[in-house]
Amino acid sequence: MDTVSPLERVLRGLAITVVILFFMFPIVWIFLMSFQTNETILRVPPSVVFEPTLTNYTALITGKLETAAGTLEIAFMRNLWNSLFLSTASVAVGLLLGVPAAYAFGRLKFRGSEDIAFTLLSFRFAPPLLVLLPLTIYFQKIGLADTYVGLIWVYQLIVLPLILWIVRGYFEDIPADIEYAYRIAGHSWFSTFRKIALPLAGPGIAAAGLLAFIFAWNNFIFALVLASADKQPVTVGALAFVTASGIQYGQVAAGIVLSIAPTFALALYAQRYLVEGLSLGAVKG
Amino acid sequence: MYDKEKTLVDAYMSGSLSRRGLIKSLGAMGVTAATAGVLVNAAATRALAQNGFDWKKHAGTTVKLLLNKHPYTDAMIANLENFKELTGMDVQYDVFPEDVYFDKVTAALSSGSSEYDAFMTGAYMTWTYGPAGWVEDLNEWITDASKTNPDYNWDDMLEGVRASCAWNGRPGGQLGSDDAKQWCIPWGYEQNNLTYNAAMLDKAGVGVPGNLDELIDAAAAAQAANDGIYGVGVRGSRSWATIHPGFLSGYANFGQKDLNVSDDGMLSAAMNTDVSKDYHAKWVKMIQDSGAPDWSTHTWYQVGTDLGAGKSAMIFDADILGYFMNGAGNAMEGQLAYAPFAPNPAADAPTPNIWIWSLAMSTFSQQKDAAWYFLQWASGPEHALFGATQMDFVNPVRKSVWADSGFRDRLSGSYPGYVDMHDKSAPGAKIHFTAQPLFFDLTTEWAASLQKMVAGEVPVDEGLDQLAESVNRQLKEAGLG
Repeated sequence: MDTVSPLERVLRGLAITVVILFFMFPIVWIFLMSFQTNETILRVPPSVVFEPTLTNYTALITGKLETAAGTLEIAFMRNLWNSLFLSTASVAVGLLLGVPAAYAFGRLKFRGSEDIAFTLLSFRFAPPLLVLLPLTIYFQKIGLADTYVGLIWVYQLIVLPLILWIVRGYFEDIPADIEYAYRIAGHSWFSTFRKIALPLAGPGIAAAGLLAFIFAWNNFIFALVLASADKQPVTVGALAFVTASGIQYGQVAAGIVLSIAPTFALALYAQRYLVEGLSLGAVKG
Repeated sequence: MYDKEKTLVDAYMSGSLSRRGLIKSLGAMGVTAATAGVLVNAAATRALAQNGFDWKKHAGTTVKLLLNKHPYTDAMIANLENFKELTGMDVQYDVFPEDVYFDKVTAALSSGSSEYDAFMTGAYMTWTYGPAGWVEDLNEWITDASKTNPDYNWDDMLEGVRASCAWNGRPGGQLGSDDAKQWCIPWGYEQNNLTYNAAMLDKAGVGVPGNLDELIDAAAAAQAANDGIYGVGVRGSRSWATIHPGFLSGYANFGQKDLNVSDDGMLSAAMNTDVSKDYHAKWVKMIQDSGAPDWSTHTWYQVGTDLGAGKSAMIFDADILGYFMNGAGNAMEGQLAYAPFAPNPAADAPTPNIWIWSLAMSTFSQQKDAAWYFLQWASGPEHALFGATQMDFVNPVRKSVWADSGFRDRLSGSYPGYVDMHDKSAPGAKIHFTAQPLFFDLTTEWAASLQKMVAGEVPVDEGLDQLAESVNRQLKEAGLG
């Protein structure tokens, strides 16, 4: 029986609308800004009525930014590609290393396992700049400075602890009896891991990968210090619109729309896993 | 280059054709003004190659630069092929946005990276880089006739600007002293003066202010007469950058100093004198009455953007900020004007504090002589003239460029009052701070004090006494006071 009164339903709908407006307003406003020129964005008072233009997106895609000081070359699409490549590759490597490690920490209780797991987590506590300067010197000595391989390696500081601790919680949630039953049937340890544990922890692994991707995507400082301009991610590249001849607000907005699009789409697609990943694995760890 | 164009350019170089005539003739052949500029510079470069200097000494060498995203960088890149042709060298560069640029420089230098041979810097930053041993004293190259071409003309640099890039490394040591090390070479610079919206002042019925009291009155009048604007834009964020532009330019104009230097070289705070307190009180009142409502968050770009968007009537800030806000893409395009500004009614002329984009050489470079070839070309008279006349390489640091009629005409045509402003201000333009290693910490604290005064959290007198006390304590702790 429906016990919700019409008034309550209306109020609930109203409350949801207010919450959605509150959270979505900045994104919608940025989206609208991305179709305006600097002049219309900066007019007083601001207005939602304007003649839309695609010049901001054209500038980003063609790499030519028109400013008061003439045409500037920008490498935004290159930055976008760098972000995509660095984040995807880092998460792939992180999953490859982190999932078996998480299984080991979750299932096999060995001496010092908690200490090792905590040490890996502690990588997240260290201020990046503290690590980066010594790392720069080492990287220069071993030839990894200013290389994608070097950057993907350093990105493991972000993705590996995250994957390890979230996925570990998932493995611990799977009843061990299922795996024992499979092993008694004569299957090897590796086969049990592959055929039983991995499929059951699938949603958790997907959530961990997704979160790690978002964290890697948002990173700013690692590539800035360790790499040349041609390997910079979108987080650094977006700053190019703050120029000596003024801030190009329209292009900043278009840049934000383009740069949040991949993570936004991923998050929308897999939001159920994300919530599970956060509420189960990370908390119970 | 085609023969006809080459003949025209050579005629211009020999003086038998005016610049205007050259551009017109090349235009008739379908050559754009910008391309004509590059062609002219190519001819100037050919002339440079004839000056007896061995420009090809480092042919085949590649130097790598770390650069800030800036019109100066764009001007250099536009002219770079001429350098490559002149020297046979190759040049690679990394360009980073200004917001992260100095983090990148600091990371590269502090890790001893040999990746970059030369880089852009501000003169203030060399007060850290120089004593740390991260940059070279360029006197070694400038004074060596075998390494510097005879047409470099070091004396052509504006004295105040050149001296501001040289320091002996002793806290409190005078900039440009005889024993000073040339940590960097000036490339382009900014004075702090008035840029104003003439229509807004006209509407308020006030003239261009000539001193601080007039500025306070004019800002209030303009704000009252024009809807939805504020009177005067100055920076206000909690950063050293709030102190160095208009604020310190005015402060110096009243003969005030940031620090006292005793005979034994010890430093002490000098910002709580009576004159300083009076100046601070007026400055604070000006912001409270006619500054931006969100002044305490304003950095250079909010100050500039508001002027360009018609949200403020004036700025007392970097002249090139006013220059760019008068350009295309701004609501106030072509409506801004410029004036020299001496806040002290008793002062003879303005005393702008300056920001200098400069070029420095990394100590960790493996090819310093080759890097110097680039530095002397990029800071040389030919490139300076090309950048100033064909690109937005303002303000040039060379007297010869400021004397060039083409450059003066171009500026005067689109930027009313700019040339006069520069001419009147240049003799007093220099860094007015005391060079010392705590510069960024102390000026940031100064900005924080200013914020408290404007917010009414502390009276001006008391705030300055507290600031002076804190500055003295920090200087003592650092062994400087």
